[in-house]
Amino acid sequence: MHIECTINGNERSFEVSKSDLLLDVLRQNGYTGAKRGCDTGACGMCTVQIDGEPTMSCITPVVKADGATIETVEGLGTQDDLHPVQQAFVDNSALQCGFCIPGMIMRSKALLEENPSPSEAEVREALSDNLCRCTGYKKIVEAVLEASERMGEQTVAADGGYSCRCEDTGLEVDSRGETDR
Amino acid sequence: MSKPTERDRPDDTTEEGERRVADSEQSPMEWDEPENNRKPSDERENLTTDVEKDDARKIVTGEAQYTADYSRQFPDLAHGTVVRSDVAHGIVTDINTSKAESMDGVYAVVTPWDDAVPNTLYSSSGQSYPEPSPWDMRVLRRHVRFVGDPVAAVAAETGEIADRAARAIEVEYEERDAVFDVERAMEPDAPRLFEDDEVENAQSGAEYERNLESHFEGEIGDVEQAFERDDVHVHETELDTPYQSHCVPEPHTTIAYTDEDDRYTFITATQVPNHTRRQLAHVFDVPIRDIRVDKPRVGAGFGAKQEMAIEPIAFALHLEVDRPVKLEMTRQEEFYALRSRHPMDMTMRSAVTEDGTIVAMDLYARSNAGAYGTHGMTVATNVGTKALPLYPRVPNIRFEGDVVHTNLPMGAAMRGYGAPQGHFAVEAHMDEVARDLGIDPIEFKRQNAIRKGDLDDVSTILKDDDRFARRIRSCGLEECIERGMDAIGWDDVEQPEEDNLHRGVGMAMCAQGSGVAGKELGAAKLMMNEDGSFHLHVGGVDTGTGNDTMFSQVAAEVLGCRPDDIVVKSSDTDITPFDYGSYASSTTYISGTAVKKAAEDAKDRLLYWGSKLLEEPEANLETGNGEVYSEETDASVDLEEIGYEATYGHDEREQIMGDGHHSTDESPPPFGAQFVDVTVDEETGEFELNKLVYAADCGVAINPPLAEGQVEGGQHMSLEYATSGGLEFDDEGNPQTTGFRQYGMPRTTDHPPMETILVETHEPTGPFGAKSIGELPTNGIPPALSNAISDAVGVRMTSLPITATDVKAAIERREA
Repeated sequence: MHIECTINGNERSFEVSKSDLLLDVLRQNGYTGAKRGCDTGACGMCTVQIDGEPTMSCITPVVKADGATIETVEGLGTQDDLHPVQQAFVDNSALQCGFCIPGMIMRSKALLEENPSPSEAEVREALSDNLCRCTGYKKIVEAVLEASERMGEQTVAADGGYSCRCEDTGLEVDSRGETDR
Repeated sequence: MSKPTERDRPDDTTEEGERRVADSEQSPMEWDEPENNRKPSDERENLTTDVEKDDARKIVTGEAQYTADYSRQFPDLAHGTVVRSDVAHGIVTDINTSKAESMDGVYAVVTPWDDAVPNTLYSSSGQSYPEPSPWDMRVLRRHVRFVGDPVAAVAAETGEIADRAARAIEVEYEERDAVFDVERAMEPDAPRLFEDDEVENAQSGAEYERNLESHFEGEIGDVEQAFERDDVHVHETELDTPYQSHCVPEPHTTIAYTDEDDRYTFITATQVPNHTRRQLAHVFDVPIRDIRVDKPRVGAGFGAKQEMAIEPIAFALHLEVDRPVKLEMTRQEEFYALRSRHPMDMTMRSAVTEDGTIVAMDLYARSNAGAYGTHGMTVATNVGTKALPLYPRVPNIRFEGDVVHTNLPMGAAMRGYGAPQGHFAVEAHMDEVARDLGIDPIEFKRQNAIRKGDLDDVSTILKDDDRFARRIRSCGLEECIERGMDAIGWDDVEQPEEDNLHRGVGMAMCAQGSGVAGKELGAAKLMMNEDGSFHLHVGGVDTGTGNDTMFSQVAAEVLGCRPDDIVVKSSDTDITPFDYGSYASSTTYISGTAVKKAAEDAKDRLLYWGSKLLEEPEANLETGNGEVYSEETDASVDLEEIGYEATYGHDEREQIMGDGHHSTDESPPPFGAQFVDVTVDEETGEFELNKLVYAADCGVAINPPLAEGQVEGGQHMSLEYATSGGLEFDDEGNPQTTGFRQYGMPRTTDHPPMETILVETHEPTGPFGAKSIGELPTNGIPPALSNAISDAVGVRMTSLPITATDVKAAIERREA
């Protein structure tokens, strides 16, 4: 069958069979950022956004993407011009082997779109479907909180003067010092 | 609690202590450290700074390429699937492949009887040669020994077709009795897994009629005599630990093909490219030179990828179908068919006098190797040789172990490599001894603990000579304990108001090694480009920890340029120099030193050309800030100018290069102290971890944020081992844990707050004072949690994972 969708702002169409999974179709067509970690929706390494919703693409039939808007990590930023979430992961050393990171970033981005100033507990809750084996999650959580702060500041600049949301980030004084290192 | 002073400690000159501090010609305290190795922190341009991880931007943009991502470069790629045994023990009598072979899109099916499948015995362990593991497996197996043993494989146009074909293959077995329990497996009438002709390269103490892969024992002093003294308390603790899965994010994946130069090439997720090359050559009887192993970005290893777990099957399929083959494991296979941490049961005994002097320690460990012996003996020996050295003044020490086969999945290398089991036994036991004697556990431990200047011969307890006795030239353990106590609030534990809740704090000391003493080699090569930049070719493997970044920092520090000026190419056996691989906490210490030596070699040539251009003697010159400059006249020439002059000069030309290789009998331990703060509900046994603190001495931390990341990730794995991991099997050996949903890997919401403290020391034998950090932090939480629970409610937890049900049962036993 034939499906059409928008991926990272580009209109794409694919010949697929009904049983195909979104992750496989994405990867076969060059979107290899999303990773195959478990095929059961249990690790989050294949997370992309469909119409803004964070979705495990390894258990999503590709037909669900027909007519949808899909965002993958490739659509976020380039190495020279990173999205604030990506930049925060780099600045906080919130990555090691990197295999889970595209999924983590897509999940984090979706969180911040829905809740621009999450508390630490809210970040942990939102990321709880995404497994990481290397980092112990500490720097990842710190990165998301810092991205929230930075995106808040960006909003301030664009909107011309809302107060900074730093107090709401739930970042403890101690951990902020480490984040700023 | 008072701070201990030197005075409070046992006197080193007592008869019992003398042996441990005796000078050893092989291990003097003095070390001939290169002049440039010791730099004060303000003079390090590129070290101990948070240089951005070199692939960070590639990772966050999704551009980082792992093995599976290379698939699109091979339009004619075949996809492989492995057919695995569904019986725990048996002989394959027939494999019917006709249905599978007739399916559209199936290229080939291979079975143990095919020409493309060698029948050679080998070990899958990626270890030095000859492997200290028995050669007991074949590429595909006619004698299957666990549910998951590979018996056939398919290559097809797509993965889906390959899977469908694999399901259509019918395998017939002559089933044999299986054994799943280690104690039962050692009985004379137990089912036998290996006949004598089914193993080559058998290890010391092997008795296959008792399913014993190895037995070993070693003793210092006279333990039995010490236990019989009438002035000692004898303490005994029995402990056991479960299977733990590596849970590698990237499943084992390999692409096997023959390139345009007729070279058998493997793009493969491995920690050991050079060992894999050698082993493939052995198994397939082809020259080493004809095989190329190219390691791309690896989605972590943790020891799982110190195994040649799937490459031989991919190779056999490739030979059969004559086109590139990709073999990618499923998550289910990762859990039940590949590798895990060995389950063990241990008995720890000690004899201690009333005043807290330990006169004897005796540790017995029995390891369940599962169906094959990969890393069986070596992991089991590390149970004793990593944790027992924490107590170097104990005059009588014995360590003994058995490694036993059962019809369950094979254990193998896993981060910590036996040390997590050993630390659980030693550090929980010692805590209990202190509590029994009414001594503060931390005081007890720090009084007996290893310190700078000690000669650690306990780590050589299983060796014939003391050549590898380690002189402890750097030790920050005391500071780790002190700073950890402050951070966890040891002296200030407030009890909850509820009567049923009790709060406690526990500590465990930790040690590891830095590489395998006398059994490592790392090599590196630097080439200068005319623009002043460098290419660094290094065999050391970055599995995601950031080693490539560390290499560039070490080289840049010597060359006086920026890490960005160094392009690192690591681990392609056709291009990069030899390296034993990324395991045993060796990469910074061994491969990093090779990089440093290569940089020094290149620096000599920089100074030669600088001398020519500046017309000053080399002795006056130094590198720094991207220049060669004179310390006498301040004149300078930048590296780019040197690069152009060396490459295109009038009278003389060369490409500036540097070679470095490093092997050593040294293996300095990094040290650490793990603290756990826990609240236990006495009524239900439920417990909550309030905070984790890890203070680590890894010598000089070359990149502190990356080092912290190792500590945090190590604690994550250790937390799982202590509280939630483990694999389950039914009565017939069928795996019950085959996915993340059954396996208790901690998620973001399961983690208590963590604090990492890096305690800087200087290890004179390491590159710029560095030791290792990768494995050390996996060792602490099981004992520290057991100790914290004992502190809170007075019961001793000796089985992992520690569950609320077990804590409740222990409390009920205590009350009865």
